[in-house]
Amino acid sequence: MSATTLRPRPSKTASHKIGRRGFLATAGGFTLTFLVPDVTRLSEAEGATPGQVNAWLNIGTDESITLTIGSSEMGQGSFSGLAQILAEDLMVDYARIHAVQGGPTIASPAPVGTAINTVGSSVTRTNFWKMRDAGAIARETLVQAAMNQIGDQTRANYAVSNGVITHTPDGVTRTYGQVAADAALLTPPSTAPLVPDSQFRLIGTTVPRLDIPLKVNGSAKYGIDVRIDGMCYAVIKHCPSFGGTLAATPSKPSGMIAVVPTKVIAGTGRGSEATGNVNAVAVVGPNTWDTWQAARRLQVSWNLPASTSSLNNTQFLADAQALLASATPYVAGGANPAGTLYTVESIGAPNDAIAASAKTVDAVYSLPYVAHACMEVLNCTVNYVAGVSCEIWAPTQSSKAVLQLAMTITGLPASAIVVHTMYLGGGLGRKAEVDFVSEAIQVAMAVNRPVKLMWPREEDFTRDQYRPMAMIHARAGLDNSNNVTGWTYRNVSPSILGQRGVPLGAKGDSQGIEGAQSLPYNFGSRLTEWVSHPSPIPVGFWRSVGASINTFGVESMIDELAAAAGADPYQFRRALLTDPRWIAVLDAAANLGNWNSPPPSGRARGIAIGTAFNSIVAEVVEISQVTTSSLRVNRVSVAIDCYVSVNPGQIQAQMQGGVVHGLNAALYGRQNFVNGAAQAKNFNNSRMIRLQEMPQIDVAIIPSPAAASRTVNIGGAGELGVPTFAPALANAYFKLTGTRVRTLPFFPAATMSDL
Amino acid sequence: MTTLQLNVNGQNYSVNVNNPDMPLLWVLRDLIGLTGTKYGCGIEVCAACTVLIDGQPEHSCVYDASSAVGKKIVTIEGLSADSSHPAQQAWIANQVPQCGYCQSGMLMSVAGAMQAGHHGSEILSEVQNLCVCGTYQRIRQAVQYL
Repeated sequence: MSATTLRPRPSKTASHKIGRRGFLATAGGFTLTFLVPDVTRLSEAEGATPGQVNAWLNIGTDESITLTIGSSEMGQGSFSGLAQILAEDLMVDYARIHAVQGGPTIASPAPVGTAINTVGSSVTRTNFWKMRDAGAIARETLVQAAMNQIGDQTRANYAVSNGVITHTPDGVTRTYGQVAADAALLTPPSTAPLVPDSQFRLIGTTVPRLDIPLKVNGSAKYGIDVRIDGMCYAVIKHCPSFGGTLAATPSKPSGMIAVVPTKVIAGTGRGSEATGNVNAVAVVGPNTWDTWQAARRLQVSWNLPASTSSLNNTQFLADAQALLASATPYVAGGANPAGTLYTVESIGAPNDAIAASAKTVDAVYSLPYVAHACMEVLNCTVNYVAGVSCEIWAPTQSSKAVLQLAMTITGLPASAIVVHTMYLGGGLGRKAEVDFVSEAIQVAMAVNRPVKLMWPREEDFTRDQYRPMAMIHARAGLDNSNNVTGWTYRNVSPSILGQRGVPLGAKGDSQGIEGAQSLPYNFGSRLTEWVSHPSPIPVGFWRSVGASINTFGVESMIDELAAAAGADPYQFRRALLTDPRWIAVLDAAANLGNWNSPPPSGRARGIAIGTAFNSIVAEVVEISQVTTSSLRVNRVSVAIDCYVSVNPGQIQAQMQGGVVHGLNAALYGRQNFVNGAAQAKNFNNSRMIRLQEMPQIDVAIIPSPAAASRTVNIGGAGELGVPTFAPALANAYFKLTGTRVRTLPFFPAATMSDL
Repeated sequence: MTTLQLNVNGQNYSVNVNNPDMPLLWVLRDLIGLTGTKYGCGIEVCAACTVLIDGQPEHSCVYDASSAVGKKIVTIEGLSADSSHPAQQAWIANQVPQCGYCQSGMLMSVAGAMQAGHHGSEILSEVQNLCVCGTYQRIRQAVQYL
């Protein structure tokens, strides 16, 4: 790789201004700066300052090409993907693009299109066309400047290659850098021709990631690595039980700087954690270790509400079972409290069809709360100067929310706040939340000096916003020809959106039912319902969100129907599908996984298919060596259709990572509660696989179309490996053992020993 | 207050600790400023904190700094001056890291196994580091020829 690097945003430079046509000229004068995105909205960007712009392209007179991106890099490689897309239509080498972390904006709508919340496997899929247009428009503006210099206005007389514009009749050339100053004075066209798909040099090819060189020598700076002159260290200690509040502020331990109670700031607390609750204290000291030890020893008394005693697994399951049997339907305009039944889809009369069917399958599936467990624990560094400024360094998926939060807590205007998005040591949805940021800001304001706040691993596990628990009841009927005549599906689950104050409409929580609605299977008739579970344990977005729950329910049930029909699970699914893309993905996974050949002795295979974030994924899982406490996953064959494949190597990496995420959760992942206190506190009792247990994971990517259309949704990749793993595993387990696993995880008692 | 003399990546450091049982991890990160070594679990399960001490992979989260006095400590920053260690090169060639947070410890475990004269599958059987991103398959490819 070249010297191309990814680094935190440099300090703001002064005196940028935005021109009427949506380009920036720096004070130094000779740089064309181009707002990356949504060119149709450029006029809305007027008045913004560079600090508020999320993504922009700067072509320097020194031949530099800098792409500033507001979204976060957490291992998914989307920074590199955006640079790769841009380079295609800008017609430069990918290695020349210097990708820089940008800051957030509070402008709404955001002046540019790049995500400032990095969620939903969205960075590449929502920016593909924007990056392409930006590259093309910038290129044509530069070519226009060259045409003006050379004096021939016939565009056909110019060719562009790696940032060099050649006047083909006489071979006279201009580099981008040579025309950048003139280009800055031009009006960019509103559209420009894109490189034809048939001439792609970059899109669809595997190129190395920009950040990897920094991640093999310790130089990549994660949030937890931030060091500021004069910085002190804070270690958080929350009430062990959700819902509890501080009874009395403990006195400051010897050698420490302060003990700071922290409260739940509006918009950051979920479920039991009500705004204003003082649910933690931060011990502040001279270094992490001494401070952590002081926090461990600190005796803190907490007030627990009476309801805390009901926050346990037995109660959660009993409530879910009751709501599977009976729940009060949603009423438009009504209060619709927890326990409300929402009808998501209703087609035909499935209950009648099932009653009249030749065979009926009826099953209840249960999934636990699961922690995120990013390798990098939650942390945030803040330098607050009272009444003047607030600078924040955070491993965050939500830089805009960090900015808004800092404005709320400090009362400072956006112009006095700088947010540095650092590398994330895993995000997985947890770092879309800003509870940890709010604590760090509160501590910084209390001690009036720079502070880095860290959550010890035990706090990270026990104070998560978990993947919601769920209980699912599915029923379906088969006629004498093994057609599905009716399908009913009810999911009872705590509401992620509800805990965030989002009013739930007639169809309930859209996140909660992802993966269970609009299924392309021919079910004849169907009823899809979602019920809000009353548990106040905080829940959140966990890699693939609702699809991780519902794909287990749906694809386990489909497998049970195949078994009832005496059909091959792959062929049974195939016969229920008509969508050619779904069939192609299913076929690709089956082929890759050698479905039609018998597995090696002692092994069995399961299959599952599903959709999330506009992509379709199928997996074939091959397992062996089943005991009461373990099994071996030998092989996973993944097929994905994400419509357009930008970097196949990166899609492969994300599928492998997603499979491991799904595998860890399906086999071992669960967080249990006793009196509101989470029980798994570290990796030793939340097992994950190690290197020796890694299955062989092969990935087939359905080829991109010959010419991609803007009218077809591009799919995501980052979360797509997760949802189909658990059902494919359970289906393989059934094939191998004859036992149907309907409750996850497979091995809840598993532990991981120290080394 | 105790003063400890530590040799890290060939350089001598004099650090003052309130308590000589402060784990080496926090001495490296907070007192010396070498942040490439990572905290993951603090209980010697994940191995994100692996460094070499006299050539042996050790978990710095539970290794008393005072016990490292007089020994040669190598962290990810000192594995090579220019990312030229064969394991680092293999990691780049195979595009191993995703979030990258565990990879310092992963590479130090691999480097320790290599220093012990182990190769390929021997290394694979020894590396116990946890990777939540699931980069294990590319690690397997990368280690194959080491």
